[in-house]
Parts: sequence; structure tokens; C-alpha cells
Amino acid sequence: MKERFKSIRLTNVVIVAAIFLLCMLIPSQTSSYMLRVLNIAMITYLCVLSVYVLLGMCGQNSFAQAGLWGIGAYITANVVMKLGYSSITAFIISVIGTALFTFVIGFAFFRLRMYYFTFATVGLMTILNGLFMNWKEATGGALGISNIPEFRVGGFVANTETSKYFVILATVVLISLSLKFLFHSPLGRSFMAIRDNEIAANCLGINSLLTKSIAFAISGALCGAAGALYAFLSGYLSYQSFTYQQSTMYLIMIMLGGTISPVGAVIGTLIISLLQEWVRPLQNYMQLIYGAGIMILMIVQPEGILGGGKVIYDKYIKPKKTSTKNG
Amino acid sequence: MTSTLNPKKPVLKMDNVCKNFGGVIAADKIALELYGGEIFGLIGPNGAGKTTLLNLITGIYQSDDGEMFLLDKNITKVPTHRRARLGIARTFQHPRLLNRCDIKTNILMGSDLANKRKIKGGKLEEDMNMLLKCAGLQNVNLSDSIEKLSYGQQKMLEIVRALLCEPAVLLLDEPAAGLNTKEMDYIVALIKVAVQKDIAVLLIEHAMDLVMGICDRLTVLNFGHQIATGTPTEIQSNEEVIKAYLGGSCNVKS
Repeated sequence: MKERFKSIRLTNVVIVAAIFLLCMLIPSQTSSYMLRVLNIAMITYLCVLSVYVLLGMCGQNSFAQAGLWGIGAYITANVVMKLGYSSITAFIISVIGTALFTFVIGFAFFRLRMYYFTFATVGLMTILNGLFMNWKEATGGALGISNIPEFRVGGFVANTETSKYFVILATVVLISLSLKFLFHSPLGRSFMAIRDNEIAANCLGINSLLTKSIAFAISGALCGAAGALYAFLSGYLSYQSFTYQQSTMYLIMIMLGGTISPVGAVIGTLIISLLQEWVRPLQNYMQLIYGAGIMILMIVQPEGILGGGKVIYDKYIKPKKTSTKNG
Repeated sequence: MTSTLNPKKPVLKMDNVCKNFGGVIAADKIALELYGGEIFGLIGPNGAGKTTLLNLITGIYQSDDGEMFLLDKNITKVPTHRRARLGIARTFQHPRLLNRCDIKTNILMGSDLANKRKIKGGKLEEDMNMLLKCAGLQNVNLSDSIEKLSYGQQKMLEIVRALLCEPAVLLLDEPAAGLNTKEMDYIVALIKVAVQKDIAVLLIEHAMDLVMGICDRLTVLNFGHQIATGTPTEIQSNEEVIKAYLGGSCNVKS
């Protein structure tokens, strides 16, 4: 028993070290175009992670995530450009602002049961997109906001693609680690209780409305962080980025990766982001590929790639005789 | 035992509780008093309103009339999750576990509630192991998924979870239905633990041997009416009960 525990720890260390090395080597080995693709992919990953918290952990589906992402981005742009605050402050205000907004919205929306919440978020997404397009004072209207200053802390300015890469990578890693704590916390468990059986959750002292609103607020905070990073990365915001289609894309990514763990979000985001680049010649058929791919996946392996991997792991790799503790 | 210190104080009191569903009376002026450390049986034919009564106590249904008190606090209008935090734990006829989580998470859901209620668990590990042993689950791997457990084991796990909430009242909805005799013994052991902890146990059950064997008092429901309340011996000789169960009148003395 102890031996196996040790070996698992060792493989974990090796895997983490390999990933770390890979992440460090990527900037020197790829073109700045590809690095930009990766940066966008990491930001997208945060949004997909927000879907993971809401859908994967709490069982609630939202189509408004791209809108929340937009809120985070526009807050950062305004706080930096109009109020002249530092980058870090803008980032924090974005996260907290978006979280508060989603919490209030969630508190109103989660009075609706089952899929009616999802319907309501479709409306929210439409309204947000309209707001981004028409609220000239805050979003620049159809022209958008340009020349957003780069991310800077003290003397460090993230003005190259590589430095942006490391800023985003650090944020993404920090957020992913804190999600691990959430997963093993009483709050995380209460999300999962609501997902699996709401009545049983209530009978275990869990307030549905409050808990779901908190889950929505946490997913909002993730989108807010992604939005802030996006504003610093691109320097230009347009309402055309924050669309309903983008929200759907997040859902496709998490469906592809699987909702059972955040790793599903990583896999789904990476595959779709890189696929878009690698199969440029097939651009016109992309929608068809997604559509058909998702349908086939849902029939063959509803838990996504990660779910499929888990099945194979349980069947062939996992050590046998684990149903009894002492062998 | 605290129950002997103030013997006349009910943990849960129902006063004239009524509920009807579109004219069908599911609970008609139910009056119950449950005491700590007592096993109170609730029996009756199918459709008598037993599960409805549990749903009324947990607040899943709102009562039409009447009042409920938990340790002198009026809980008639209190929502389900707050009642749970005040000390009402229950199991379901068909186990409602968190199917996509592992066994450990399911167990921790119970102790999470105890922590929320600021009841000093402290000895969680010890408590958990003791309960798992009583339930015959000491050999399961806690990181396994729920689907690896048999139906009976799932029911047992649900009771363990409810007990880890450290409740004042434990409501058991047909815990022994569908179990074999060995598993029945585990259920009895778990109920005995609850009694030791001075929890008031409300037991719905069709297995008459079990009910008559372990209950201190019981009440019989039929079409939402409470037709008799008393000790097992009193109930067994009650004419109206026999009528309800066997249908129509018959001479039992011969």
C-alpha cells in the first residue's frame, strides 16, 4: 500500500516537472504568432474553467459566460484608462466586480428551477452584447476601446508576447490551484451535492439559492479574470468578441474535454484552439466538424475525452483489487 | 442519559398537522411527540401518507395547517435546509446519494453539516470508522464511486451520512426494504447507535418483525389518519389496526 502511494507521488512529481519544463520552453520554441494563439487559448481556458465550476461542479448551465468575460475586460479598460489605477488594482476590481454582478444576477435567476436558469442566461447574454455595442461612454460603442496600456507591475512591463505569456500562465496556474482547494472544501462539496441531488442537498442543510449563486459568482470571477487578462493582452476591445457564439464555444470545449475534472477544460480548450490553427484550410467546414464531432461524442462518450480516458484507465491500468482496503 | 434528566420534553412535536393534495388527504390532524433516545415506529399500508409525513417534517412539503416544533422552536414555516441545520436528518426510500462523487465525499457531506452547526465533531475519523463498522462497510475503499456499492450498502451509507450530521431527530424511510437479513442486522446496529447518541428516531418500515422488535412506541397511519398510537403490544391487539391491515372486520381471537 505504502509502496504504491510512493510511486504515485513520484510519477506526479515527474509529470508536474515535465509540464513545467514544457511551459518554460514553449516561448523560445514557437513563433510569436503561435504564442499569441496560446495566450488566447489560456484566457479561453479560464472561461471554460468557469463553465466547469458552474456546469461540471454545480450542474447549472449558462450561455452568458462570454458576456461576463466582456464585463471583466471592459471594467479593466475603464479602470486603467479613465481612473488611472494600476494594472493589479484593475485586475482585482474586474474579478470582484464581475463576481458581484453575477452573484446578484444569480440570486434573481436561481429562483427559476431546472433549465429555466439556462433560458434566462441566453437573455442575459443578448442584453450584455447589446450593452457593449451601445453604451458608448463605457465600451466605446461599435468602435470599441483601443490603446489599452500593457500590464505593468513596478518596473516590469508585459509588452512582448513572451512576457504576456508568463503573466497569463502564472495567473492561470494560480487560479487552477485554488480551484483544487475549492473542489475539496465544504463549499465545493455543496456544489456537487446540488448537482447530484438537490433534495438530498437541502436535507443536508444546503441552501440551494445561495449555493448556486455563489457558484455562479465564482464562475463570474473566473470570467472577470479572463477578461482583465484579455484587455491587457490585446489592447483593443470590440463588442464583436463577446458574443453568444463564443459562449457556445466554451460549452463545446468542455463537452469535448469532459466535465468530471478541470483537466477536461484544459484538454477541450487546447484541442479546439489548436485545431482552429492547424486545419486553417478546412476553415469553411469547421462548423460542420464541430457539430458532427459533438454529436458523435455525445453518443459514444458523453463524459468527453477525459471520461473516455477514465474508462480505459479503470479497465486496464488501475491496480486491481482496490475494492477492499487491506487486499 | 439526558432523556431521563428531563423526561417530559419532546424533541419533535407535531400538532394538528394537515396536508392534502387536490382533495386527497395525505395527513389529517397528525399529532406526534418524539423523545430523545426513543425509537418511534410509523407503519401503515401503502399510500397511508407515511413518506408524506417525513416530507412535511423535513419541509419538502409545506403543511396546510397545524404546527411543528423542534426543541421548542416553531419550524412550521422554516425551509428545508434550515430545518436540517436545526437538527433534522433523514434518509430516503430510494437512497439519494451523490452519484458522481466518491464514497468519502458522500460521508463528508454529513460532517460538513455538523461543522456548520458548530457541533464539535473533532473525532470525525474515529466516529466515521465506528459507524462504517456498524454498517458493515469497513472494508470498502472510500475513493470508490457510489456505483460500486450494492443497493443495501448504499442505504447503509445514507444512514451513516445522516448520523454524521449529529442530528436531534433521525427520520428513516423504509431502511430495511430490499435488504437481506444480514443487512437488516446492520440497520439495527446503526439504529442502536442513534439511540445511544440520544437521537429521536422515527422509523417507517414494512418489516413487522423489525418494527415490533425495536420500537418503543409506534403509530399507525391509514389514509392520512392516525388510527392508533402506543407500544407494540398495544398496537398488535388494536382492532382498528387489524382492520386496516387485513381489510374489513375479522375475528382475531379465534
